[in-house]
Amino acid sequence: MIKKGTNSLTKHFTFFKVLVCLAVLILASCTKINEFTIGDNFVESQTHLTVIDTFRVDVSTVLLDSLYTSGVSEAYAGRYRDNDFGQITCTSYFTFNYQYFSTLNESAIYDSAALVLSYSGYSLGDTVSLLNLNVHKLTEQIKPFSNNYLYNNTSFEYEADPLGSISFYPAPGSGDSTISIPINSFGEELFDLIKNRGEEVSSSNWFSSYLKGFAITYGNQGNAIIGFKADESHLLIKIYYHENTALPVERDKLPSISIGMGQSNYMFNSLKLDFSDSPLENIRETMNEIPSAESGNRAYLQGITGLLPKFRFPTLQDLLMEKRLKILKAELILEPVKNSYEKIPLPDRLYLYETDRLNRMNKILTDANGDPVYSTLVLDEIFNEETYYTIDITSFLIDELSDRYFDYNHGLLLGLNQNSLKSSFSRLILEDGHPRVKLKLYLLSY
Amino acid sequence: MYKLFKISGLVLTLLLLHMYNANSQSSSSPYSLFGLGSLETSSLGPGKGMGGTSIAFRSATYLNISNPASFSGLDSLVSIFEIGLFGKYTSYASFTKNQSSIDANFRYVVMGFRITPWLATSFGFAPYSTIGYNINTKSDVEGSNLKYSKVFSGDGGINRTFLSTSFKITKNLALGVNASWLFGNITHRELSETYYYTLEDVTYLSNFHLNYGLNYRFAINENNFSVGLIFGDSKKLNAKNTTTIKTNTETEVIRGRSSKYSIPRNFGAGLAYERGFFQAGIDFERSLWEGTEFKNSGIRSRNCDRISAGVEFPSFGPNKGTGRMLLYRVGAEYRESYFIINNTPIDYYALSFGTGIPLKGVLSTVNVSVELGQNGVKKKDLFRENFVTVHLDLSLRDLWFIKRRYL
Repeated sequence: MIKKGTNSLTKHFTFFKVLVCLAVLILASCTKINEFTIGDNFVESQTHLTVIDTFRVDVSTVLLDSLYTSGVSEAYAGRYRDNDFGQITCTSYFTFNYQYFSTLNESAIYDSAALVLSYSGYSLGDTVSLLNLNVHKLTEQIKPFSNNYLYNNTSFEYEADPLGSISFYPAPGSGDSTISIPINSFGEELFDLIKNRGEEVSSSNWFSSYLKGFAITYGNQGNAIIGFKADESHLLIKIYYHENTALPVERDKLPSISIGMGQSNYMFNSLKLDFSDSPLENIRETMNEIPSAESGNRAYLQGITGLLPKFRFPTLQDLLMEKRLKILKAELILEPVKNSYEKIPLPDRLYLYETDRLNRMNKILTDANGDPVYSTLVLDEIFNEETYYTIDITSFLIDELSDRYFDYNHGLLLGLNQNSLKSSFSRLILEDGHPRVKLKLYLLSY
Repeated sequence: MYKLFKISGLVLTLLLLHMYNANSQSSSSPYSLFGLGSLETSSLGPGKGMGGTSIAFRSATYLNISNPASFSGLDSLVSIFEIGLFGKYTSYASFTKNQSSIDANFRYVVMGFRITPWLATSFGFAPYSTIGYNINTKSDVEGSNLKYSKVFSGDGGINRTFLSTSFKITKNLALGVNASWLFGNITHRELSETYYYTLEDVTYLSNFHLNYGLNYRFAINENNFSVGLIFGDSKKLNAKNTTTIKTNTETEVIRGRSSKYSIPRNFGAGLAYERGFFQAGIDFERSLWEGTEFKNSGIRSRNCDRISAGVEFPSFGPNKGTGRMLLYRVGAEYRESYFIINNTPIDYYALSFGTGIPLKGVLSTVNVSVELGQNGVKKKDLFRENFVTVHLDLSLRDLWFIKRRYL
């Protein structure tokens, strides 16, 4: 009985198998779900999608009060001037690491000393002309603010006379190469202290009050800002000496003492901005904000200087009057000024920061998932006609409109990612004349 | 035990079909866009092999829920449990294109048994109508020269759970009443995957409904005849509509539209002839849909008829009359649509072939039937559906009052 039952069972399972196979075969031949169109003349749309770009965008350029620049991996020095952004003078400040100096032989004789700098590869401006940089010794202790930051407008006192100076043709492209600024008399003083085991080099505290740090400043020549690697193995004082005086030896083969850059959060880049004769000339007189109409229908973005375009939306409140309307997507269309990015390339990605009446840089704009929103760059490399960025601001608008009130003072600042903002000169000149900055809204009515 | 294996086998098949469905087009018909959707007939497994013919048949070895008087035919010692599944392949042809789809699902589960010599009952779950479509279109983005894809989809339908009671008035006459709870939803959706929005219009429907049946049976020599009559009055369904718009960031109920849905007055008559293992029958049914309103333009309702005929005969040869005897069924059905699109009816024609395969060792049968047919016509703005439907019905009989020695 049981055996019979099992047989019949097997037979029926075979039947099911055939059935399943048949079903699979039929399924494979079916129209894909997203390609099925039969019946399309019966359906009656209740939703309509419209795209409009007529909502006004007020564009201005904001100069941030300050932007922290400490703890970055590049030390900048130099001066650069152009017709768009005015003149930027950049000084980098840093301290030195204390180390235990091993005893030198009586016979050791000082040779020379230099501050050694390594190109980071980044530069702004003219690198075919001579650039003159000075090294100064600080007379004031570098002290970060209570939040542990130092800002682009922070400065510390240094000796008026430089310890050393160099005029050179910058070659930032040559990856490994270094430049050395001779600091011979300071080097000798330091060598003697080490050799004679002076109090000043006996402990970290003594050392840091003796050598408070250096500032690399622009001298009097050149139109470039050069980036140098800012870490203890690339930014250092090198003191050379010889043990026997018998033969002249090449400097590289001489014994040396190295003193590397100190803590990274004590290193920062300080800027002096001079906007005279530039479109942004009056920016400081107008509460650090200038409408694009007063700066040649352009808005300006430059990382480390804290110049950021600002967008506000004066007519969006009108959207709230409409019933049965939803914003599906909102994007800004941003065109760089034509031919403004030939020498200095456009930033790859732009980010937005929320801002308020006081032009503070608040939190970075994020999408519905909490990820930062960034732009897409459409490059027209052949004709340079259709190059623009798009950036999605749907979450911002929906958020702002959700309480049925749109605050005009709530705007957006266009910037770079947080790291580039504090450590690069990446720049963008935004067109707001022909065409204007556009807000493209995809609206659903139902 | 074996029954369990078989049921799980069926369920497995169904699940497999269902899984594939999730990845491909699953649709009952784009015509189910209108009104209550595509109407289902109430014939179960064996009836499906005979063009749905069932009004005059008495439930004996199978259940027949078309006529609530039919259960008086049940044997007093047997309870019957029936479960039905189907798989349907449809190809659609319009003037400009040919497309196809597959649909598969569970259809019904019914149980029936006799309580006293004059009272029998049945209860279960079966569909009244189904909605299933998925239509891809391209719409304009106004204010630009872009187009975007928009999908119109629908699902739901009216289900009924019912309790039927048959009373044997005389040896020949049985009356029945069926109480149904009709419930379900009609969901139409309009969505864009590119712009992340969905407009969903859901109408929940429900009401209680009664329908009645009569079965009169008489014999002339070895020839048995029966007459069946059925009647159900029209009934308004309680409707509750909500329309919701969902975007990537918000969900809003935008309205509760008032909508009217009802099921029509319906009556039918059937004749059956039975001799030995042979039986034949015809059905005639009319539903008074006229007056029903449709939201869609160009659609109007009409009264519609259903006519079907079918025969069942046993396999010849040594198995005839034994527990291993196969039954064969053939039938045809013609069904008028309850709506007319642009003055064209969407009528349904089908031929059906079926067989009842007894399972060894147990009092159970697998009924398989294949329905071949067409629905609608190929015409301007309209399309024809040609379909093959496989109906699978498992009828399990259990002897309630016999204690088996070996289980």
